[in-house]
Amino acid sequence: MSTVNDGFSPDRSAPLLGVRNLTKRYGSDGTAIDGVTFSAVAGEILGIIGPNGAGKTTLLEAVAGLLPVNSGDVFWRGEPLHVGRRRDVLFYLPDGVRPYQDQSALQVVWFVGSVFRRSEADIKSTIEALGLQPVLRKRVHALSKGYARRLMLTIGLLAPHDLLLMDEPFDGFDLRQTRHVMGLLRDQTARGRTLILSIHQLPDAERVCDRFILLSAGQVRGSGGLAQLRAQTGLPNGSLEDIFLALT
Amino acid sequence: MRPTAPIVPLLAKELREVTAGRALWTMLLLVCPLVGYSFVQAVSLYSESSAAALQSPVPARSLSPLDGILVPTFGSFYVAVTLLFPFVAIRVLGQEKESGALRLLVQLPYRPSTLIAAKFCAVLAAWFMVSIPALSALAVWAILGGHLAAPETLNLILGHLLYGLLAGAIGLLAAVIADNSATAAIIALAVTIGSWVLDFTLAGRSGLSAWLLQLSLTQTLRPFEQGLLSAGLVLGIAAVIGGLAALTVVWLPPGTSVRTKVIRSVSCVLVIAVALTVAAQIRASGDLSEDRRNSFSSADERLLASLRRPLVIKVNLAAEDPRYIDLRRNVLAKLERAMPDVTVVLASERSSVANPSDAYGQIEYVYGDRTDVSRSTSSREILPLLYALAGTQPPAPSVGEEYPGYPLVVSADAVLLWFFGGLPLLIVLAWRRIRRLPPDKGSLVHQGVKP
Repeated sequence: MSTVNDGFSPDRSAPLLGVRNLTKRYGSDGTAIDGVTFSAVAGEILGIIGPNGAGKTTLLEAVAGLLPVNSGDVFWRGEPLHVGRRRDVLFYLPDGVRPYQDQSALQVVWFVGSVFRRSEADIKSTIEALGLQPVLRKRVHALSKGYARRLMLTIGLLAPHDLLLMDEPFDGFDLRQTRHVMGLLRDQTARGRTLILSIHQLPDAERVCDRFILLSAGQVRGSGGLAQLRAQTGLPNGSLEDIFLALT
Repeated sequence: MRPTAPIVPLLAKELREVTAGRALWTMLLLVCPLVGYSFVQAVSLYSESSAAALQSPVPARSLSPLDGILVPTFGSFYVAVTLLFPFVAIRVLGQEKESGALRLLVQLPYRPSTLIAAKFCAVLAAWFMVSIPALSALAVWAILGGHLAAPETLNLILGHLLYGLLAGAIGLLAAVIADNSATAAIIALAVTIGSWVLDFTLAGRSGLSAWLLQLSLTQTLRPFEQGLLSAGLVLGIAAVIGGLAALTVVWLPPGTSVRTKVIRSVSCVLVIAVALTVAAQIRASGDLSEDRRNSFSSADERLLASLRRPLVIKVNLAAEDPRYIDLRRNVLAKLERAMPDVTVVLASERSSVANPSDAYGQIEYVYGDRTDVSRSTSSREILPLLYALAGTQPPAPSVGEEYPGYPLVVSADAVLLWFFGGLPLLIVLAWRRIRRLPPDKGSLVHQGVKP
């Protein structure tokens, strides 16, 4: 399988983000995530992999500080990262959000760019990189699913944070668009950003991610690079799908 | 130190959001005929009274545009604000909550208090927009030749502004607490319409009922409608608005646990209670009514202000007794404003009404070591009594202080065209213009991206 991350070597000297024993329970509905522990190193793309309902979104929102947790800690460069400070160092891009639906895509992009004090050139280049030009004057509610996703990615790329958390960033894209966006994300890591992506399409994850956290029923079933996971499962030629099925 | 973001894009976004919603424009369109009909009816009744009063100066003195025109016109605006404005305020926050945009918003480099302050600015702008029909009624009244006294008019507008902000603050808090806008609307209307229920069921009661009645939102407007600017009331309303805003800030961050939010909310409620208690002690007020209905004559006011000893008034009447209501309006409220130290003791409870004793109806005045009793509720009899107790001569009657009254016979039927046609048409045109997206002037490069 082709990948876009061949030859990439992120700095694994110190974790940028550390998550330890994160647990979130929803009343009597049960545990959404249960003692999740993982870390992300600077410059990598870390994939949170799992089927629908595995707890990926809950995990990302808990890490982003948008969801109160029952227990667990988050660390930034080894230091505890209080909930109130999360937004200073990381930015979370939720799935299925169409922000400010009565405004045009351009107004929304311009708002976010202005808030983050991005230059007009930056805003323009980000719009062009995501191919958002044809729909800039359309209202957000009128955007197709693919363009709505591009709008969200534009917002994410305009955020100046070192770490981006993205929930299902390829949802709504066809194969060609997915590969294009993967290239864009890879460019971001080349500039020093770290990405944590929640992905339920395992082939997409295998193409773009450097490492994986395999999540099932709210628990981490395995973690590491593809080679490590293959060794762990004894599937030397196994795909991510094979590995996931073996571990869950 | 945290990086701070510019406030202008946030304010611009909030204004775009509130003007993009149908709730604001729908309310504006509904307010037009409501206010227009009330205004025309008020002018009609005022003209009928004026026609009789023009023959004699005495009835003319009772013709005040504040009572005859402003209060009825703004009264319909008040109804609209009570029933509809919470929906406008709810949309300011509820839309973002329902679409998920709130999760983006709270990650932007703004404090939660800044985010809520920007939303309050949007609510304030929305109130100014929905007040356009009522303000235009004032302009029409002036064009028709009607009299407007600036202090009492501005005071009334201030009262409605504070009431609107109060309704808006309730809407914002409901939106942040509730899961969706429908639930938020139910919460907000339960509070605003609940105030009406309090008014209807507890009016004229004493004790706990009277205290509960003070919590009614509608009570906030009454002094303004009487031309009274009370510092305690303004500070009390400001404290409640500020407290509701603080509660909204507490409940905004989605990452904070409910337990923490509840603990912080209790703190907020305590601070509001303390602020209200402090505000209730502030008795400074100004009578801005042109006819000085809340004051005695200037000479009486000066003389009463010079009476430095404590005055204790023991009223042997039930709170719901019409005589007590008269006494409070005609004498007690004015005395409390004019004299430095007045204590009113309401001696009778409801049981006294059923079994009245000989003493029922008596009002005892204690000034220093001297006492007198009266059953009158009129200042014409009570002021001389007080001067006698104080051992001073009544002041000479003031000359030229009589309120002349402003009778005006005019027909405003044609004005209905403005409120039912012209103004709604302008509103629709403005709505269309605001909803229109920026013109496409070519490529992104040529237009420099800016929206």
